[in-house]
Amino acid sequence: MHIHELNPWRTLIALSVFVVLLIVGFLTMKKPLMSYQLNMTQSVEELTESEAYFFPWELEGVINKETTDVVLFDIRNNFVFGQGHIPGAENISANNLSSEENIARLEELKKMNVTVVLYGDDELHANGPWMLFRQVGYDNVKLLLGGYKYYFEHKEDLAATIDDDGYYIGFPRHNYAEMAAPKDGSAAGTSNERQEVQVQRRKKTVVAAGGC
Amino acid sequence: MNKNYIILTILMLVLAVGTIFLNREEEPKQIEPSKLLQEIIQPTRYVTTDQVAKMIIKGDPGLMLVDVRSNSEFEEFSLPNSVNIPLDSLLTGDNLSYFGIPGTQVVFISDDAIKADQCWVLTKRLGLNSTYVMLGGLNKWMETIIDPQQPSDDEPYTVHETYSFRKGAQMYFTGAEAEVGGSKVKVEVRRKEKTTVAAGGC
Amino acid sequence: MGPLIPNGIIGGGWDFVIAILIGVAFGFILEASGFSSSRNLAGVFYGYNFVVLRVFFTALIVAMVGIIYFDFLGWLDLSKIFILPTFLTPMIVGGVIMGFGFIIGGYCPGTSFTGIAIGKLDAVFFTVGLYLGIFAFSLAYPLFEGFFTSGALGNVTLTDVTGIPAHWFALAFTVVALAAFWGTMFIEKRVRKNMKQYKF
Repeated sequence: MHIHELNPWRTLIALSVFVVLLIVGFLTMKKPLMSYQLNMTQSVEELTESEAYFFPWELEGVINKETTDVVLFDIRNNFVFGQGHIPGAENISANNLSSEENIARLEELKKMNVTVVLYGDDELHANGPWMLFRQVGYDNVKLLLGGYKYYFEHKEDLAATIDDDGYYIGFPRHNYAEMAAPKDGSAAGTSNERQEVQVQRRKKTVVAAGGC
Repeated sequence: MNKNYIILTILMLVLAVGTIFLNREEEPKQIEPSKLLQEIIQPTRYVTTDQVAKMIIKGDPGLMLVDVRSNSEFEEFSLPNSVNIPLDSLLTGDNLSYFGIPGTQVVFISDDAIKADQCWVLTKRLGLNSTYVMLGGLNKWMETIIDPQQPSDDEPYTVHETYSFRKGAQMYFTGAEAEVGGSKVKVEVRRKEKTTVAAGGC
Repeated sequence: MGPLIPNGIIGGGWDFVIAILIGVAFGFILEASGFSSSRNLAGVFYGYNFVVLRVFFTALIVAMVGIIYFDFLGWLDLSKIFILPTFLTPMIVGGVIMGFGFIIGGYCPGTSFTGIAIGKLDAVFFTVGLYLGIFAFSLAYPLFEGFFTSGALGNVTLTDVTGIPAHWFALAFTVVALAAFWGTMFIEKRVRKNMKQYKF
């Protein structure tokens, strides 16, 4: 065996160090607090599922303590919460949503099969957190349609809102085309002569250059 | 034959086979949920209809309006120079390549802000930056830009200022006649630029 | 965490310092593995010494498997790593030329410098020829330009082209490399038995 040939002992030592390094890596790897349970396609589909929403008239039972498996989370800040909130709601302001205790609590509630209803000022306010929690697998989290605003306006007769659809948003309330039609007498057709829109698309990312 | 060689070979094989069991994300790159939540709770993604109108009028080259309503709704009416990507086809084709271009600002538009906001959350999850949501959506657009309500005389000056801009924008977008006389507000789009309340917006 | 510079963990100005450190380490390992001897290097083509194959394949499979683990552990972001652009035909032709140069000259570019470092005359001539070649190519570049840039595939990886995940390639290369280690060990033994003299 020539001196210039690989020394199996040294190679073994080097490879052992490598393995130890990997083991240390595996041991120190932190499990993230949350991880996505739904992929992108599922997340998009999720949005159309009516199961994921909580209707204002359903609040009636919660406030009267008839339904016990529902917890209300108010994500508005402490100050507004103090000024008025849905009876029985807990205040977890948006900043604290991702705290460890909160996640642990969500986990616990999920195990107990308790529905968590998120609400903010309006539907939009709680929309983001609600989407995120559903995407990370808390499928017991629901979004209160209309938010606090709608509740506040109808808190006297919540049960009656079952026939109301004022809390629905996301549909045109105006006839856009008619409203925006040119008013100078010319034919209402501006939207038809829309030109091809010039857009830029992202190119495949080229990462930092370098080389040998 | 050295015994060490045999150990080395087995060790290396085990390591290589081990790579197969690392469950790797085949999904496109995503940002961590906790990071996404941090982004979500900040209201910086919202732009007002006034800001959007201003950018359209100025011809901001970095502005891209993405309409997330359905195709038929888009055909009926859409903002000038907007692109239609319905929410349910956000992931199909190469629609995602519209987002995250350096130097452009994507503004999502829907009937109300809700669908646009959902779109924002989805694109943000993929780590795509400089996307925004038009607050109030097209309903608000109609109420503020296309059909602005004249404020009463005792409203503060800034309200009248905004109204004058909206009146100008209304002319720009609909070709409505300016009300000659009567109103003290001058319908001038250019002038507004000097005040720069929130030029650029995003 | 990594890559360190693109992720802004250390400043961009450090890249040359790191390059020098890695270069020193690389040169040390090359010389320590006996790559400053052209007999050692050329031995792989004549079948009496496969140390080149062993060293390079060992380095290759360890780095390859290691990168995959590091990516999984979050230490290295694979998507931010620079991938050399591929030019298919020029690379094949270049590889053939380099292979011939390797057999004839007894060095590859990197190892010729380690040869110089320990004072080998043939390595000096090899390096002079290397620079003359680079110079001639630079002057004649307009002639080659069309060919030089033909067959550009961009910064692609085998995974991009075939769609097969990277760890399958890693496993396949490891198996091939390990098989090559054992196979060449037997070839080496048989060739050396028939050699009248074997020294460096």
